[in-house]
Amino acid sequence: MTGTENGGDIGSRIADGTNNPSYATLLAFHELATRLFAQVHSAHHEIGETREILKDAIDRLMPAFTAMRAQDKIPVMNPSKREAFSALQFQDISDQLLAHAQARLSQLLHEVDLLVGALAPDTQQSNTVARLTQLVHQANDNLADLDISLLKPVGKAHLGTGDMEMF
Amino acid sequence: MKTILTVDDSPSIRQMLAYVLTSNGYHVIEAEDGEQGLAFAKANQADLVLTDQNMPKMDGLALIKALRSLPNYRKVPIMMLTTESSQALKQQGRDAGATGWMVKPFDPDKLLEMLKRAFAQNAT
Repeated sequence: MTGTENGGDIGSRIADGTNNPSYATLLAFHELATRLFAQVHSAHHEIGETREILKDAIDRLMPAFTAMRAQDKIPVMNPSKREAFSALQFQDISDQLLAHAQARLSQLLHEVDLLVGALAPDTQQSNTVARLTQLVHQANDNLADLDISLLKPVGKAHLGTGDMEMF
Repeated sequence: MKTILTVDDSPSIRQMLAYVLTSNGYHVIEAEDGEQGLAFAKANQADLVLTDQNMPKMDGLALIKALRSLPNYRKVPIMMLTTESSQALKQQGRDAGATGWMVKPFDPDKLLEMLKRAFAQNAT
């Protein structure tokens, strides 16, 4: 079942005249959506902070690497140096994964923000149902597009060296 | 001395590449994104290009396509060095004109081996 098909089912259920939500229910959903927005916003911010910390760490590590480079009259890559060399690439790799996570959270923030707006207490209930139905369809399409645009950049969860392929 | 153009938005990766390549007798020119790499390539001749995929302004695939449209870069080996490892993207790289693909993190010896193979392949 695709996201759109799934969303269509949910949209039909929301729009079903016999099961219209009460004003109190919509208020409860509005409160929940507002809290969800705050949580996703915090997670987005914390990932941003993590990226900054990792960048700071690599900025502090690289001068030591450069000094080592300057001292090497005849650079020899012994096994421990080779391992350190691979490990030093952690920031580039983890930053790309975190950037993807942030992009997903940004999209979620956008969708939840729209939901909060549609569920706002001053909205007419009949309009709310129609807007929610439209939102569900739109959000499912947006999330499906996001999955297509954000293919996982790193195919593994470790720092073992990658494969090589000549075309 | 062969000149290698390295294109990567990560300063630490560029530094590590420069360390490995200059230590092994290559002359290295660094660019921090595809646009900068292309600008260098238009004004200078590199013997090999080593590029990342995900970069601001111009990504690796767009850079490869742009380089392949330049007469003096039609046969120059262009290697992708990226965290991306999906077969679909590798195929796009192959179609764009990449010579080879290496997934980060890279091992210095494997990288040097890949470059030797690329130069040897280009010479035949």
